[in-house]
Amino acid sequence: MEAKYDFERKYREQILRCSRCGFCQAVCPVYGATLRPGLNARGKMLLLKEVMDGRIDLSNELIETLFQCTTCASCTHNCPSGVEVSEIIKVARKDMVDIGSCHPAFTGMHDVLLHHDNIYAEDEAEDFGRGKKATARYVFFAGCVGLYRETEATEAALGVLDKLGVDFTLIEEACCAGVLEDVGFPMNDKLVETNIERILATGAEAVITGCPYCARTLNNKMQYAPLRAKGVIIMHIAQFLKDYDLGLHTDKKVTYHDPCDLGRHCGIYEEPRQTIRKLAPNFVELPHHHADALCCGAGGGVRGAYAKNSIDMARRRLKEVEEAGAEVVLTECNSCVHNLGNAKLRKQKFTICTTTQFIHDLMEEAE
Amino acid sequence: MIDERIKADLIRIVGNQNYTDNLIDMVSYSYDASEHRARPSCAVWVETTAQVSEVMKLANREKIPVTPRGAGTGLSGLSVPAHAGVVMDLTRMNRILELRIEDRLAVVQPGLVYADLEKALAPHGFFFPPDPSSGKVCTMGGTVGTNAGGVKGAKYGTTRDYVLGLEVVLADGRIMRTGGKTIKNVSGYDLTRLFVASEGTLGIVTEIALKINPKPTMTTTAMATFNDLEDAGRAVAEVMRSGILPSVLEILGRETIVAINQNTDLNLPEVEALLLAETDGYTKGETDFQMGKVVDVFRRNNPGMVKLAASQEEAAGLWKARKSAYAVLARIKSHFVLEDVTVPIGRVPALLKGIQAIARKHSIQIATFGHAGDGNLHPQILYDGYDPAQVRSMEAASDELFRLSIELEGTLTGEHGIGLSKAPFMTLEHDAVSLEMMRAVKRVFDPNNILNPGKMALDAA
Amino acid sequence: MEFQSYNMPDELYYEPNHYWVRQEGDLLVMGMDDFARKLAGQIVFVQLPEEGKAIKLGKKFASVESGKWLGKVYAPVNGEIAGVNEELETNPGLINQDCYGAGWMYKIKPDDLGEVQNLLHGTEAVQKWLAAEIEKFAKGA
Repeated sequence: MEAKYDFERKYREQILRCSRCGFCQAVCPVYGATLRPGLNARGKMLLLKEVMDGRIDLSNELIETLFQCTTCASCTHNCPSGVEVSEIIKVARKDMVDIGSCHPAFTGMHDVLLHHDNIYAEDEAEDFGRGKKATARYVFFAGCVGLYRETEATEAALGVLDKLGVDFTLIEEACCAGVLEDVGFPMNDKLVETNIERILATGAEAVITGCPYCARTLNNKMQYAPLRAKGVIIMHIAQFLKDYDLGLHTDKKVTYHDPCDLGRHCGIYEEPRQTIRKLAPNFVELPHHHADALCCGAGGGVRGAYAKNSIDMARRRLKEVEEAGAEVVLTECNSCVHNLGNAKLRKQKFTICTTTQFIHDLMEEAE
Repeated sequence: MIDERIKADLIRIVGNQNYTDNLIDMVSYSYDASEHRARPSCAVWVETTAQVSEVMKLANREKIPVTPRGAGTGLSGLSVPAHAGVVMDLTRMNRILELRIEDRLAVVQPGLVYADLEKALAPHGFFFPPDPSSGKVCTMGGTVGTNAGGVKGAKYGTTRDYVLGLEVVLADGRIMRTGGKTIKNVSGYDLTRLFVASEGTLGIVTEIALKINPKPTMTTTAMATFNDLEDAGRAVAEVMRSGILPSVLEILGRETIVAINQNTDLNLPEVEALLLAETDGYTKGETDFQMGKVVDVFRRNNPGMVKLAASQEEAAGLWKARKSAYAVLARIKSHFVLEDVTVPIGRVPALLKGIQAIARKHSIQIATFGHAGDGNLHPQILYDGYDPAQVRSMEAASDELFRLSIELEGTLTGEHGIGLSKAPFMTLEHDAVSLEMMRAVKRVFDPNNILNPGKMALDAA
Repeated sequence: MEFQSYNMPDELYYEPNHYWVRQEGDLLVMGMDDFARKLAGQIVFVQLPEEGKAIKLGKKFASVESGKWLGKVYAPVNGEIAGVNEELETNPGLINQDCYGAGWMYKIKPDDLGEVQNLLHGTEAVQKWLAAEIEKFAKGA
C-alpha cells in the first residue's frame, strides 16, 4: 500500500515491530493514571497500524489519544522491540494537523505564538527588578514557565547567580518555540530569530537556562543552528552549578525527581545529583529514578490539553515521594515543579522546588 | 453497533464515565498480545462484583457476548472479542483485599497487576511463586484464566497449585464462591480447579484467594553453552536425575540469543543453545551445593562453556533478557506466532530437533526458547505477514509443530491457553468424548454461550 | 440577578477581580463569580492556603488555574484564612459546576466585618460594573 501519511513513510517498520506485548503498560504515565489501554503506548501503535492497513483513517476521533502523550519516552526505554513511540507520535501529530484534526489547546498555542512572544498570551513578563545589560558573559534564559508561572524559582536562580558573582544578563525573551514541532506544528521562525539576535547581541559565550526543554530546543533544533555556529554553548543550570563548592548544608531528607527532558532525553542524571549530594548528605532516591523516573505528567502539551489527567499523573509520582519518606523534593524543571506543586495534597507535608531555589534558600539562611 | 437501549442499560449499571464505544477504545480492545483481532461493540469498566453481576444479567437476557479482560497480555487471543459484544475491562478492580501472612493467604481482585502483588509481599519475605514473564503488567484474573506458568514452574508449579478459592460471577449474573481460604479443602467438587485455565468461558472471576510462600533469600545462577541442541535437551532431562530441582531452568536457541545480543549489552555467546539455571534456598552453601549438581549434569553433556553468574546484577540482567525474549524477537520480521508446546521432560531433545527440522522443511525461521525445566518450549515462528507464501509456510509449520508435540505425548499449550490460536487443533489432542464433556460443562455454566464465545473450540457441534 | 446571561446573585458582595463574598456568622465565605468562571473555562487547580494565614486587603493570597489561564486571588478584606473547601483539592471542577454553592473556595475571619461594605453590592452597582467588564473583555483587553 502506498503510504498516505508522513508517519508511515518515516516509521512504518518500527510500528510493525510493536509485538503487542503490552510491557509499556507498566511505565506509561497516561495509562498508569487512567487505566485506559486506548491511551497507552501500545494502544497508540495499534491505532496507527490500523491506519497504515487502511482499516481506519486519521480523524478527530483519534485526537484524544494522539495528543495525549507526555513524550516522556518511558515506553521506548522499556520496549523490548525498540519502538520509539514518542517520535512516531510527533510525526503522526503533524499528519493530524495537516488534515485539520488537532486538539484546540495546541491550535490555540500555535495561534498565540503567532501574536505573542510567550505561550500564555501574557503581555508583561517579570523583570525581576533588574534591567538587561548590553553585554555579558552569560545569558540566563528563563523560558515561558520561568517567566510567567514559576517566577519565584527564576528569582531564586538569579539570586544564586548573583551571589556567585556570575556576569550574566536576562534578555527580552521570546518563547523558544520548541513545543510547536512536538505537537504537529511548524516551528515559529520569527520567535527563533528574535532569540538568536538578542542572545548574540550580548556577546555571551554561553546561555544558561533553568528549563530543560529550552535547553534541548536550543541545543538540538536545526533552527537554532546559527546560534550554535557562533560557538555559543547552551547549558542547563544544573550543568553550570555542578562544580561549584557552595559550602551549604542541610540535614533534611532530600530526594531528586529526574525531569524527562533532562534525564531520559538528554542523559543528564549525575550533574544535578553531584550538587545535591554536596549539600544534602541525607539524600535518598525515589523508587523509580534515573532512566526509570516516572514522568510528572506535564510534558508533550498534556498539562495544557488534559490538565486533570496531567495532575493525576503527578499525584502518582508524589506517592513515590511519600514511599521514600523525603521531606524535600528537588528537581530541575519548572514545569515539573509546577505540575507536582499543583498535585501535592495538603496532607503531604514535603516541599517541592528547583535545586537552585533550595540553594538560594540555604544561602539566605546562612546569612 | 450496540443497541441504544442496551447502551443506556449498561450506562445505568456502570455510570456514563465507565462506558465507552469510542474508536480509540474499540481498536485497543480488539487486540491482546497475540496475532488475533476482532472489534467489540463497546466496553465497560467495572469496579464491583455487583456491577459485574448486573452486566451479566443484562447480557444473558439480551444474548450479548461478553469478553472479560485484564491487562490484555494473553498470547492466544483469549481476551479478543471474537464475537464482538461487550468487553468487560476489570483492571480497575485492582486491590489486595486481604493479606494474612500467618494464614499464607492473599485475597486479591482480578485487575491486580502481578508486580504489585510481588511488591506487597516482598517486605514480609513472601512471594507468589508462579513468575509469568509478563509479570510487570499482567493481571491476576488472567493468570487464573490461563493457569499462568512462568520461569519458576519446574520447581514451584503453576497458578492452579496456588488458588485456594474464588468468587465468580456466572453467565446469568449469579454470584458464587468456590473453595475457601484453607490450605487444604476437599469439600465438594473442586470447582476452583475447573475455573482455573477456563479462559473466561465459564464465569468471570471477581475475587481470588491465593496461597503464598515464604521466599527463599539466596539464589545461585549459572549458564552453559551447547553446540548441539540435543546435548542441551539431554542435559535438561538428566537434571531430573540429579536429585535436586532447580528453581529455574530455561533454554535459549541461537536466533533468540542473537536477537537478545542485538538489543542489550549482554554479549551472550552465540551458540546453538544456552541453558540458564537458578537454584534457590536460604544459604549460599545450600544453593551452591544444588547448583553443583546441575553443573555436573551440564558438564556430562558436551557443553562449550559453563559459568556461574558473578553477581546479583549479572543474574538479574540474564533473567530480564530471558523475559523479554519473545518481544525482542519481534524485531526480526514483521509478524510472528508464539507457540507454547509442552512435552514430557525426557522428550525435550526430540522436540528441539523436531522444531529445527520443521523450520528447514518449510524454509521459515523458528526461534526457540522456553521453560526447558518443565518441558514447555516456546518456538516462535518469524515471518513476513505481507507475503502470502510465508503466511502459508507459517501455517504449515504451526500445524506440524502441534502434531509433533502430540506425537511426543505432549500438549498444544503448556501455559498460554487455547483461546483462538489453538482452537482448530483441539481434536488432535482430545478425544471426542472429552471434547463432548467439555462442551457439556460449558452448556451447564453458559447455556446462551455469551461468555467469551468462539474460544477453545467449544462452539463446534 | 441575571445580567446578559451571567448569574450574579443580588445578596452577594463582589470583589472587582470577580470573586463573590457573603457573610456567614462572623466569617466571610468567598468564591468565584459566574463571569470569571465562564471566562476561565474548566478549573484544574485551586491553591488552598493553610488555615491561619494572614491576608492583606488587595494583596494576592492564592492562585487558580484553568487549562489556559492563571488567575490571582486577591484578599477582599484584611483578615486570616479560617477554612478552605477541601473538596476542591481533588475536584476543582466544583467551581464550574456550582460556583456559588458547592464550589465555594475560602472562609475568612475578617479583622473588621465593616470592610465588606467597600465591595460592590446591590443590583445597580453590580450591573454597571459588570457591563463595563463585559465590554473590556470583549475588546480582548
